[in-house]
Amino acid sequence: MSRRPRKTAVPDPAAFPTRSYDLVKEFTIALVVVVLLTVGLAAVFSSPDVKPVTLASWSRADGADFTATAVSELGGTSGTAGYGPPYNHTPGAAQKLGPVGLQSAAGVRIPVDTTNDFVLRPLRDAPEPPAVTAALATWAAAPAARQQAWTRAYSDALAKAGRGAPAKGDYGPVPVLASRLLGLARSGALDGELQAEGRFYQTDYTRPLLFLSDGSYLESLARAEHLGGDQWGMMNETGNFPGQAWLWLYTFWYQIDPFKSSGNADALIWGLMALLSLCLMLAPFIPGVRSVPRWTRVHRLIWRTYYRDQAMERDRRVSGR
Amino acid sequence: MTALPYFYPGARLFAAPIDLNGAGRYVHWGVVQLSVANLVIIGLMLVVFMAALLLPFPRGRGRR
Repeated sequence: MSRRPRKTAVPDPAAFPTRSYDLVKEFTIALVVVVLLTVGLAAVFSSPDVKPVTLASWSRADGADFTATAVSELGGTSGTAGYGPPYNHTPGAAQKLGPVGLQSAAGVRIPVDTTNDFVLRPLRDAPEPPAVTAALATWAAAPAARQQAWTRAYSDALAKAGRGAPAKGDYGPVPVLASRLLGLARSGALDGELQAEGRFYQTDYTRPLLFLSDGSYLESLARAEHLGGDQWGMMNETGNFPGQAWLWLYTFWYQIDPFKSSGNADALIWGLMALLSLCLMLAPFIPGVRSVPRWTRVHRLIWRTYYRDQAMERDRRVSGR
Repeated sequence: MTALPYFYPGARLFAAPIDLNGAGRYVHWGVVQLSVANLVIIGLMLVVFMAALLLPFPRGRGRR
């Protein structure tokens, strides 16, 4: 094992040559260049202009999908109803990182009861036709098992019927409730009902967005724009606009096994990226990694004039002996 | 409040010369799926990086 060379004495910083540097000038030039670039590029390319998807536009464009989703919300079988924290306490739904339940750790912070919040309350809050009042009363009076049987039977019938009318059966008040909710959605009232926060400005889109994401309409639109999770969607933008290219590594993991087939993918990838970020932060202390700049010698390319002058000086000294 | 329709008077005057709102174009390479727009941006970033490495430093008047 060879001994490490003894460190040479640290030179006096005042002994180095200096040059004046105007930080304010550089900042001003950078600001002006970035402003001109921003304004110029915005004028030439504009910005993404995709119309927002609302419950109203969804129910008008694809009433069958809306109705099927509404029935799953009523029966508590939708994706949101079984998501777990932060929306509800669904046993076994939360993602884990090994033994650590990251999703459960913060608890249910945005409680969502899809049956009441997405279906029954909006129906009650809107002016009710007598048939809807009777259907709501029938629903409230039925035991939970009966309610489940009605929604399950109606969901199956809707799935079999496709875009046509479902076959006749014992669905209880579910068709009346679903039909009324479809009417409210088409009128635009349901968007307002689900956004109502009791404040003047309504900026919380959590509930309408959850309802939308439980259907297949929003996902089909997203996939058409290459925004799906398995389409590297995290780094894409709508149309031909550039997206978030810096998220390439984060979205890359979702494309390969074991992550793409794992129900814990979000937690696993978050953990992996946290570990990699930690490695990047600690690069100067990791043996091998910290030597990469010395091996690649990129610094010699940047400061090539200095190193060339040094070499010439050395050659002159050698030839002058 | 309603948004202005695309065909309001003068819309063509204020429209961007290059419209990127059409159907996106994508490059597929095995598991990799990249939009052409992102590819252009990544290419430009590489060009800027190489320029930062290779362009000589400006020699200021006050340099000693």
